[in-house]
Amino acid sequence: MQNAASSDRSPTNGLLLGLVITLAAVLAYSSYITVQLAGLRRLQSEMVDRNRKDSLQLLRVQNDLNSIALAMRDMLDTTESYPLTAWTAQFERIHQDLDAGLKLEESLAGANRTPEQRLFLSQAVAQFWDAVNRMFGVAQNGKEAEAREQIRLSLQARQQALSTAVSRLLVENNEGEEQAAARIAQIYDGVQRQLYIFLAAMLIAIVLTSLYLIRSNRQIFARLAELSEQRSDLAQKLISTQESTLRHISRELHDEFGQVLTAIGSMLGRAGKHAPEGSSLGEDLKEVQEVAQSTLNNIRTLSQALHPVLLEEAGLESTLDWYIPTVGRQTGLALHYEKTGQSFPVETSAGVHIYRVLQEALNNVSRHSGARDAWIWLRYSPDSLELEVEDHGTGFVPEKLQRGIGLVAMRERAELIGGTLTISPWPQGGTKILLQIPRVKVDANGA
Amino acid sequence: MNRRDFLFRTLAAGLTTAAAPPWIFANRTATLGFRLTDVTSAAGVQFRHNSGAYGGKLLPETLGAGCAFLDYDSDGWQDILFVNGMDWPGHKRQRSTLRLYRNNRNGTFTDVTRNAGLDVEIYGMGVAVGDYNNDGFPDIFITCVGQSRLFRNTGRGAFVDATRSSGLFGRQGFSTSALWFDYDRDGLLDLFICNYVRWSPQHDVFCSTDGSHKSYCTPEAYRGDTCWLFHNRGNGTFEDVTATSGIFDSSSKSLGVAMLDYDQDGWPDLLVANDTQPNKLYRNLKNGKFKDVAVEAGLAFSTEGKARAGMGVDAGDFDGSGKPGVAITNFDNEMIGLYRATAPGVFDDVSIPSGIGAASRNSLGFGCSFLDADLDGFLDLAVANGHIDETVRNIRGNVGYAQPPQLFMNLGGGKFRDVAGQVGAGFESPKVGRGLACGDFDRDGDLDILMTTNNGPAYLYRNDQTANSRSIRFHLKGTQSNRDAIGSAVQIFHQGQRQSRIVRGGSSYLSQSELPVTFGLGGLEKIDRVVIDWSSGRTEEYKDLRAGKTYNCVETKGIDARPGF
Repeated sequence: MQNAASSDRSPTNGLLLGLVITLAAVLAYSSYITVQLAGLRRLQSEMVDRNRKDSLQLLRVQNDLNSIALAMRDMLDTTESYPLTAWTAQFERIHQDLDAGLKLEESLAGANRTPEQRLFLSQAVAQFWDAVNRMFGVAQNGKEAEAREQIRLSLQARQQALSTAVSRLLVENNEGEEQAAARIAQIYDGVQRQLYIFLAAMLIAIVLTSLYLIRSNRQIFARLAELSEQRSDLAQKLISTQESTLRHISRELHDEFGQVLTAIGSMLGRAGKHAPEGSSLGEDLKEVQEVAQSTLNNIRTLSQALHPVLLEEAGLESTLDWYIPTVGRQTGLALHYEKTGQSFPVETSAGVHIYRVLQEALNNVSRHSGARDAWIWLRYSPDSLELEVEDHGTGFVPEKLQRGIGLVAMRERAELIGGTLTISPWPQGGTKILLQIPRVKVDANGA
Repeated sequence: MNRRDFLFRTLAAGLTTAAAPPWIFANRTATLGFRLTDVTSAAGVQFRHNSGAYGGKLLPETLGAGCAFLDYDSDGWQDILFVNGMDWPGHKRQRSTLRLYRNNRNGTFTDVTRNAGLDVEIYGMGVAVGDYNNDGFPDIFITCVGQSRLFRNTGRGAFVDATRSSGLFGRQGFSTSALWFDYDRDGLLDLFICNYVRWSPQHDVFCSTDGSHKSYCTPEAYRGDTCWLFHNRGNGTFEDVTATSGIFDSSSKSLGVAMLDYDQDGWPDLLVANDTQPNKLYRNLKNGKFKDVAVEAGLAFSTEGKARAGMGVDAGDFDGSGKPGVAITNFDNEMIGLYRATAPGVFDDVSIPSGIGAASRNSLGFGCSFLDADLDGFLDLAVANGHIDETVRNIRGNVGYAQPPQLFMNLGGGKFRDVAGQVGAGFESPKVGRGLACGDFDRDGDLDILMTTNNGPAYLYRNDQTANSRSIRFHLKGTQSNRDAIGSAVQIFHQGQRQSRIVRGGSSYLSQSELPVTFGLGGLEKIDRVVIDWSSGRTEEYKDLRAGKTYNCVETKGIDARPGF
């Protein structure tokens, strides 16, 4: 159930879906553009470019026809000293160029030209050059006047007809170009429209995805905060329960077993007074009394260790004064304790947590640091209380740090009393643990 | 020189030397290596062209006239001929004739026009010099508006008008450039004449740039006219073969003509520059006929496919490839066309990458000639510029009527740079330039420049080498070929390099340069060999020739050196 709920809240599926939709849209639009471009290219290469090249050839042909017209005008000029046959080479040049132009034009005209147009053009050109050859033939025979008459009556008319036909083809090409231009404009308009739609869709997709991501992030962070709070509550309840249990056990040990053992000791003392002097009974009773006293001492020590009643009775400062030398003796560590600042009474509930932090810190020094010395500072300042424990041992390993419950508990305790716990490695090796608590949180006088 | 200039020049020098053959290094990394000196007055040249302009704005007025270097007395010193116009009938103000200046061999000239029999009033345009009768003395053909004239050299310092006797009389035209060449390789010089448009004073068309005042028309207003080709019969007369040779073309509006062997078959071809009409490249079919192949060769139109206003034309191996390149001057805003042969029979217009295109965009070019001005072994290009319309500045602010001539130095690697402003002598001062010819009139081994202006003075610029560059010159005399050896190719070889020239008539605009050929050698003292392909088809080769001399080469007879040039 938990996993299903988590996957429901994860944005991955939504994002993947969005990505698929976006890629599909891009793919579809790219295909559309490719098709349109291919159409445009086909239109340009097959129609516009071809048309333009064809028009250029038609202009070339027209230019040749104009040159022929000018040459014929010169040929009819009777002041010219050269015979008509002198124009033969000039006509040959034009003929060659005209033929080349017409050949190219025909290959370019393609489907634009009707069979009737092709037939007319080719026949008209052939007939014109036949007439030209006949004219030069007549001129060759010295019949200049007759040849000129042929130019006037036949050649000029034929040239005019050819020129008109070519002009008509040029006009048709022009119209074809205009139509193609209109179609190209349509394609551009279509592509432009599609581009706008695509951009709008992409914009909407980006906005929706962003909103979705923001919403998902907010949910995740809210869940994280909730979990953190729950964990903190749990930890605090655990600590409270632990403290309560320890306090109860401590009191039970101190009050119940302590009273009983004290009574036993008194009773044994009175019994011993009734035993004869130097009797074995008296010796035994004395020994039992000593065992009871030793047990009583141990129980008291254990009771203090589980929950220092001293805290409630004498306060934090006195508890530490008792506790630190005790730990030193028990662990063999050389503990250097120093108090600074103007002390103030600490609330018992806060004092317990400070005490527990110190207890855990010294426990860590003893167990893990390998150090023989440790330094403890209790600093009172006008607005805070600081407890610092430092050792110059091997230091802590971050991985272990993360796994250790003790350190977690230390942090939780710090948080419980509104303070902060800083654990930092000492540059020369070792660890420094600093607990800082605002005075307002711990001052029993409510400073 | 600021830092940027220094870097640019250093880089340019680096690129240039990287592309250039090693034998020219010494000269090319220095300064120009030569300077021009205006010796017009000092030399006693006092020619002023008379266009006859009186306000009628008749078309021929703005197009003349030409000039020539020629050795009319065959003394080995180049003389000078100026073509002149004249006052129009009904507007007579002065007498103006051709002018012939004899070289005094000391840097000065004497006007010998009258004694030479050339003080005739004609509306002359261009000149072609050639020994058509192979008598050892150059004859002169003057193109005119109307009847052109042939002056035969008597060999005694005078000329006689042989127009009628030669059979050239009776053809009226607006003739422009002309050249002598032996198209059928029979050892006799034939005559090619360009005609511009069909024009006569009676049929002058009214054109105007402002709608009220008459101005000179562009050629679109007139019908074209065919060029003429006259075959030399060898008996002092000529036969009109225009129609039978395939030259006839009534649409041409020709202003310049150059002879070249573009297909390198040993037969002379012709390149005709047409104004607003496609240029013509007449390929010699070796059977007395020609075929226009300009379109196929890439010379007919500009790279945009436009027929430009071709004026002057010259051909020369400016890239050292052994194949002739071509320069054609055009109208302003059309740039000079500089063509390089890239494949057999095919030319590419390299005007823009060469640097000449941009530099000539705002000038209207007429005369042009390839010459190795600094004798570094690379042909440079001299251009005479000048507009046809005095009021052009009112229409196009950045184009003047008088325009600076240009001298494009060949930097190697296909690059040219205009150095007109650096050569001195006020060469770059604006002129209404027209004709341009080159020749070594002071026989110091380098080429001097002669330039005419329209309705203005002529200029003679002496070339003085300042970098002690060496040269070698060849003066060819044909025995089986025509006497002037026109059409013969000369190639020299030195240190693995080759230079080639052709003995050419015509070229430029209305003008003719000297016939001897000059090769610049930079610092070289000798060449390995020279190969002469005579126009007759004969080939001769001579080895180990020293620089600093002019070699007289007589076909089949051998070679001998003059003392000095």
